[in-house]
Amino acid sequence: MSPAARTARWKTIGVYAAAALVLIYSLGPFLWIFIASITPETKTDWGAISGRGVTYFPTQPTLQNYIDLLNKTPFLQYFVNSAIIATGNMFLTLIVASLGAYGFVRFHFAGRGPLLVGMLIAYTIPSVVLLVPLLVIFRSYGLINTHLGMILAEATHSAPFVLLLMINYFSTLPRELDEAAQVDGCSRFGTLWRIIIPLSVPGLVAGGLLAFIMTWNNFLFAFLFTTTNAVKTLPIMMRLFAMGEPAVWSISAAGAVLTTLPVAIIFLLFQRMLMSGLAAGAVKG
Amino acid sequence: MSPARRRRLDLLPYLLISPIALLLLAISVYPALYAIWLAGTDASLLRLARAQFIGLGNFVRLAGDGVFLEGLWRTLRWDMAVVLTELAIALPIALLLNAGFHGRGFLRAAMMVPYITPPAVVALVFCYMVDGNFGILNDLLVRLGILDQYFSFLSDPTASFWVIVSAMVWYGTPLMTLILLAVRQTIPPELYEAAKVDGASPLRMFWHITLPHLVPSMLFLVLLRTIWMSNHVDMIFIMTQGGPGFSNYTEAVYSFKLTTQFEIGYASAVAVTLSILLVAASAFYVRHLARSVLVTK
Repeated sequence: MSPAARTARWKTIGVYAAAALVLIYSLGPFLWIFIASITPETKTDWGAISGRGVTYFPTQPTLQNYIDLLNKTPFLQYFVNSAIIATGNMFLTLIVASLGAYGFVRFHFAGRGPLLVGMLIAYTIPSVVLLVPLLVIFRSYGLINTHLGMILAEATHSAPFVLLLMINYFSTLPRELDEAAQVDGCSRFGTLWRIIIPLSVPGLVAGGLLAFIMTWNNFLFAFLFTTTNAVKTLPIMMRLFAMGEPAVWSISAAGAVLTTLPVAIIFLLFQRMLMSGLAAGAVKG
Repeated sequence: MSPARRRRLDLLPYLLISPIALLLLAISVYPALYAIWLAGTDASLLRLARAQFIGLGNFVRLAGDGVFLEGLWRTLRWDMAVVLTELAIALPIALLLNAGFHGRGFLRAAMMVPYITPPAVVALVFCYMVDGNFGILNDLLVRLGILDQYFSFLSDPTASFWVIVSAMVWYGTPLMTLILLAVRQTIPPELYEAAKVDGASPLRMFWHITLPHLVPSMLFLVLLRTIWMSNHVDMIFIMTQGGPGFSNYTEAVYSFKLTTQFEIGYASAVAVTLSILLVAASAFYVRHLARSVLVTK
């Protein structure tokens, strides 16, 4: 073997060794929680702390933990709440952000610059600052413990984020499209609805789904603005699990897997659109 | 647009922008101003109607508040630990993903898994990984002979800090990797070919070509992540509630804890002070965003 070929071979081995390390780092923790979720729970008494040790390969994999999760905890209700709030936020955000983005991209009007900078500043106001005033305002308007309140609170960062994303997206569509549509008799609003929106599907999908995921993941607002099971969301349940309540480790693991599932499915189906959206914009979080 | 139409005020753009403008006015701008006002009061959620304006009283209290003062260092320590570790892990992964090899697409997708996991789940997973009874970390460390017996990581001030940092880093690395990879792919291959002809070693090429191209983005990412990490609460609060003791009380966590204890006036003062400390970084960020958005026309 020539020295060059030998170097090339060592290089290949090095690359794959590094790839294996990255794979273990990226998948290890989640794989471990998945294994825990299909490992039979040895504990019989719900009151005591789980006494079992570490299991790497369950000899008798089971789905019992998932069944127990659904039967013995309000997981399903929390899941539905999360879904309602995330979906609601997605639609609210998409509508206001795409209208606004179209206005900013295609029109020159007095106050355009300051308004846009105002939106950017609103985007950078951190949740920690907004928590207290929103708590007070929501209490006086009866928005505590409502899905609507949660949808609105989460829009504080999803709406400006999707606005930026859509501004970037609309900017890539040639202006001649609008002009041609208007020559053909489209109203200006009709141009948005019939020409721009259909052409922007990839951008809208990316923006909408990222808004959905942001809301699905949100913990802070949910922790402060909900007190009943009728509106509480999955991150709240994850915190209870993390604090060891109920202290049934395998059931918590099953909950962790199911909480991740919707986001994982979204990424699997729309990977390319989401990746480009993420790489283009700077994400808060 | 014809001159005739330009003369009268065109209402359509204002109509298009008003929904998002009104929404943000109601849920972001007005609340932010309200937070500043609250920071000047002794408001408590338990007796909100009797809140009194005390001027700079809260800020005077902050200046003598040990939790707040030590929190400045704890916030900086948290920011630096998370952001620099993320960078140190993301950069090699991005460079690896830029190399051509079989299975690169798969690795790129697998690398995203931590980012797909909701942060609250990440917190749960890491809590359990380091658990004193059935955690995998204790098991591995004992098997390797590094530990004699199981150790309760989250009850130790230093260990808990690094466990929470690890959870945050694990969650945050993929996004940083993705951005660094995108920047790496914009470097013209001709630069490397020319360097190769001149007989440059891979290390020299990294030092003289790759790194200089990546540094601006890296600095920007550090700035951005520092802002968000300073304001971050979730991971710390879910894993240890800021404990043990006050050991993981960053300013954001302190403000959040005060809120949960109904001390909303003082909580706002902490949050507003934090924002003031970050204002230079935030202004730089807004300017960057504005440039990218305003110039597109």
